[in-house]
Amino acid sequence: MRDSWEKRIDRALELAGRDAAARPLLDAYRRLLILQRDCHASLRAHPEPLTGSLERDLIALRVHVPHILKDVVATGPPRLAEEARQIIAAGNHAIDVLLLTGWHTPSDEHFFARVILQPYANCLVTLRVRPLDRDLPHADNVCPFCGGAPQVSILQNASDAEPGGRQLQCGTCFTTWPFRRLLCARCGEDDERKLGYFHSPAYDHLRVDACDTCRHYLKSVDLSRLGLAVPVVDEVAGAPLDLWTHERGYEKIELNLVGL
Amino acid sequence: MAISRRTFLQRSLAGGAAITAFGFDVTPIYAQARTLKIERTTETRSTCPYCSVSCGVIIHTLGDKAKNAIPQVVHVEGDPDHPINRGTLCPKGASLEQDILNERRLMKPQVRRPGADRWEDIPWDQALDEIGHWVKKTRDATFVEKDPRGRTVNRCEGIAWNGGCTDTNEFNYLVVKTMRSLGVCYLENQARV
Repeated sequence: MRDSWEKRIDRALELAGRDAAARPLLDAYRRLLILQRDCHASLRAHPEPLTGSLERDLIALRVHVPHILKDVVATGPPRLAEEARQIIAAGNHAIDVLLLTGWHTPSDEHFFARVILQPYANCLVTLRVRPLDRDLPHADNVCPFCGGAPQVSILQNASDAEPGGRQLQCGTCFTTWPFRRLLCARCGEDDERKLGYFHSPAYDHLRVDACDTCRHYLKSVDLSRLGLAVPVVDEVAGAPLDLWTHERGYEKIELNLVGL
Repeated sequence: MAISRRTFLQRSLAGGAAITAFGFDVTPIYAQARTLKIERTTETRSTCPYCSVSCGVIIHTLGDKAKNAIPQVVHVEGDPDHPINRGTLCPKGASLEQDILNERRLMKPQVRRPGADRWEDIPWDQALDEIGHWVKKTRDATFVEKDPRGRTVNRCEGIAWNGGCTDTNEFNYLVVKTMRSLGVCYLENQARV
């Protein structure tokens, strides 16, 4: 399997060792990945199997939330630490509201909901349990499993094992699905003159796929250039590209867990 | 906590510490981003001209759309979404970039004289004069106005035309018009798309 929690954690550690500027960001992301991995493992091993309905699965999920919140209070940036303290003080009801809101009306700006719901959604994928109560619109540019927005685009050559071309990876459950190469993943613009691709030799296997119509972008990880890349982690490591693109007036389709 | 995506941009422009929407400090990364050399490319779908299979290709063109900048082709690859080739290309198609950019492309006419062992460069005017001379001489010598049964045919059997696979529709249109007006019957090209 190309992508797993362990591979993401190992890749974050590896990239942090190479890039001094991105190290604090990658270290923070790795800590989150470790928390998410533990949450995912615990959900898989829970005696009550997940049902796909978050309201019913809250019992299994809720127990992990205080641990994650306390970790963020101890190690996270001041803004998130303060938010975590407020949630802890508000109690279980606030946690339930946080998770249910994040599940039914997803937003990439709700940090804690995303951190906790990612392993839950990924666990549903692993167990092949369809989300029951997440009635999100079906479209080519959202995840066919959970309806989440794409976090990153993946380019690869065709092989016996996998289809080539472009795939999008869900920012919620990490499912990948095929998507047309020359098409904006947000607004569906297919006019080639309005789709720009930004590339820097410093990040040879990364590029920014930008749309001049909706002014949104997402990053692509080209696995034909670097097969060892783990898309969601390399996407975070390419943070300078986000800042460069942001300065030129483009907005990301889905923020990652470090807020870029 | 409601976090606006604009938060990051505002903080950055203020010149202080750069932080992400979730409050992570990215000041060193921000400095790194300012040193990046980034180029913009566009990708354009097209069709490989080399044979009748008509494989889909994607042509990568470098250029920031500035008015005084000339776009330059930097890469050609198979189109993974094309139903015929699904991203693959044959060795000839994979070299398509060299059809567009090739340092060995002939930029002026050449002629190889009877008995010569090499090609020699000649000026355009001389080339056109010589071609005109030989076309007229050959056509006059081989033109057939009527066939053996007396039927008018008006054909030139001493000249043949063979075009290449990368000839465009427009070019081939002019070729046919010109050759038919000369009466040339032996008219063929490899363009199949």
